[in-house]
Amino acid sequence: MGFCLMEGNEAIAWGAIDSGCRFFAGYPITPATTIFNTMLKLLPPLGGICLQGEDEIASIGYCLGASMGGLKAMTATSGPGISLYSEHISFAIGSEIPIVIVDVQRLGPSTGSATRGADGDIQFLRWGNSGGLPVIVLAPVDVSDCYLLTIKAFNLAEEFRCPVFIASNKEIAMTRENLNMDAVDVPKIIERISPPTGKPFIPFEVPLESRIPYFLPIGGDVIVRQTSSTHGADGYITTDSDEIARVQDRLKTKLTSKVKRFSFHESFLEKDADTLLLTYGITARAARDVYQVCKSSESPISLLILKTLWPVPEELIKEKAKHVQRVVVVEMNLGQYVREIERILPDKTIDFLGQMDGRLISPNQILEALAHG
Amino acid sequence: MNQSAEELNKVEKKDLFTSGHRACGGCGQALAARLVQDASGENTIACVATGCLEVFSSPYPDPSWRIPFLHSLFENASAVASGVEAAYKALKKGPVNIIAQGGDGSTADIGFQSISGMFERGHNVLYVCYDNEAYMNTGVQRSSFTPLGARTSTTPMGNKTRKKNMPLIAANHGIPYVATATVDDFRDLQRKVKTALSIEGPKYIHILAPCPLGWGHHGELTVEICRLAKDTGLFPIYEIVDGKMTNVKKIPVKVPVQEYLKLQGRFSHLFKKGGSPEIIAEIQQIANQNIERYNL
Repeated sequence: MGFCLMEGNEAIAWGAIDSGCRFFAGYPITPATTIFNTMLKLLPPLGGICLQGEDEIASIGYCLGASMGGLKAMTATSGPGISLYSEHISFAIGSEIPIVIVDVQRLGPSTGSATRGADGDIQFLRWGNSGGLPVIVLAPVDVSDCYLLTIKAFNLAEEFRCPVFIASNKEIAMTRENLNMDAVDVPKIIERISPPTGKPFIPFEVPLESRIPYFLPIGGDVIVRQTSSTHGADGYITTDSDEIARVQDRLKTKLTSKVKRFSFHESFLEKDADTLLLTYGITARAARDVYQVCKSSESPISLLILKTLWPVPEELIKEKAKHVQRVVVVEMNLGQYVREIERILPDKTIDFLGQMDGRLISPNQILEALAHG
Repeated sequence: MNQSAEELNKVEKKDLFTSGHRACGGCGQALAARLVQDASGENTIACVATGCLEVFSSPYPDPSWRIPFLHSLFENASAVASGVEAAYKALKKGPVNIIAQGGDGSTADIGFQSISGMFERGHNVLYVCYDNEAYMNTGVQRSSFTPLGARTSTTPMGNKTRKKNMPLIAANHGIPYVATATVDDFRDLQRKVKTALSIEGPKYIHILAPCPLGWGHHGELTVEICRLAKDTGLFPIYEIVDGKMTNVKKIPVKVPVQEYLKLQGRFSHLFKKGGSPEIIAEIQQIANQNIERYNL
């Protein structure tokens, strides 16, 4: 589409379409609604389906059904809706159903501030499932990221058979920016892998050297049976402790062992810096300004912008923080991701700047935090 | 029912839902909310679902509520009202009027199961639905009360399904009182609220509340549109007391549905060149079926 002006939500919809997403279901909620509106324009001409559910529970349920039917599926909501998605998120994790879930965050709790931005769902996205198994969460910084990370999210969801979240924010979602789609380095689109023919289909058996089972859609020539109960490789409910432990471990390590491969980020490292500024999402844009200001000052800093938040890209963070004494974490909440940084870097001084009042964190506030800690 | 006919038929103006709120000019819901609260009186607790009503009537410094007001979520006004009622019972407090209220989205769709649960458990709560036939607060998306043919932001070609018949669904729970009303007839609406509150158990009142913004009509036509909704047969007015339909409002002079539809931008595509006369005919058929079914 070349050079265009669009908001983050539209870019997410375009990213989904270009990933091969052909099913969207959602429920009205500001600031996510324009994803629905854009999908409603884009999907029908491509033979895709765009549905309005009677609530969020139904909307994500539609998507999981459609995904099991063989379509790439996406849904989008905000804080109140992501809360209602919770049980389905667990279902998607346990039954290994690929889906992309967009959370356009607004200030909570509950109905909260409709509509002001925040990054208040960052730990919720990670832990908002029963069982506490990991998920993938990607965080865009601008409209271009919204497009690219959505494509990456679909690839990860299909490859790893898991829910993948886009942790957007009202400020990115509803602000129009220039985007040159042709300049975006679009990765190869990944499709689900069918099992080899000529052998019986064991639904959750994993191929050698892999932790991801092959996928067959429900309703094909081979009968596919799916359960949300704990199941063994054969797909049937199991009460065998050893088998349960193996499944749990596989669901965990299939993501945590591979995070190095999808540790998306931007980093700007200064040789003499003793401080690393670490942030994500819309706040990264203020942080880029701060980095530039400091670069030409007497005390330059390094900057790490995370675009993969979960699983925590621990090796990446340790590597980028190797030469600094101090890490300053800035996020639009009262202190969520900073807990991970404190956990990973126990030998560094970790300072935190958070704000949850509906306003963006300004470069000046970050400069002040850098100066005074 | 211990109120005299005179008391029941009096139009109440108690200013319990005050002016100065942020609703659009001609908002049917704002008018309906005022009539409901004034009819129920001071001894009332309002449990309100998320929607336009909460947004336009509760921000400081211009809140409208001069009675206790509990705003909850989009899906759970009935559940929260059930809890308030149960607590009153357990604490041996009351009697008090508890009114759960919400728009069509929170009644027909996301809140449907909690309303059904409240009816089934038999809580002494009145549920009032302000029906403006779409999700207005989030930008006019369809709900399952959106009528056939209406254009919304999620039915840009016109809605393809018929409206869910919530009053009959409510009545089929076996609750003692169900009524429909519109905002053009203050006396009738308030009589129904007062009647409902005099009955023990769950009650349901369904109020047609036109939305100038979402329906695309001039604000001063809100009342006129309600009259036409009734006189075409599209919105029948009746009560169902203990399962028996009663007080069906007869249509004095039947009006073709075009008269109702053409005042509203949401139906304008039906009348344009290359429009949909077959949809208009189907809407007329719905009206005719209502006239026959309810003996209007």
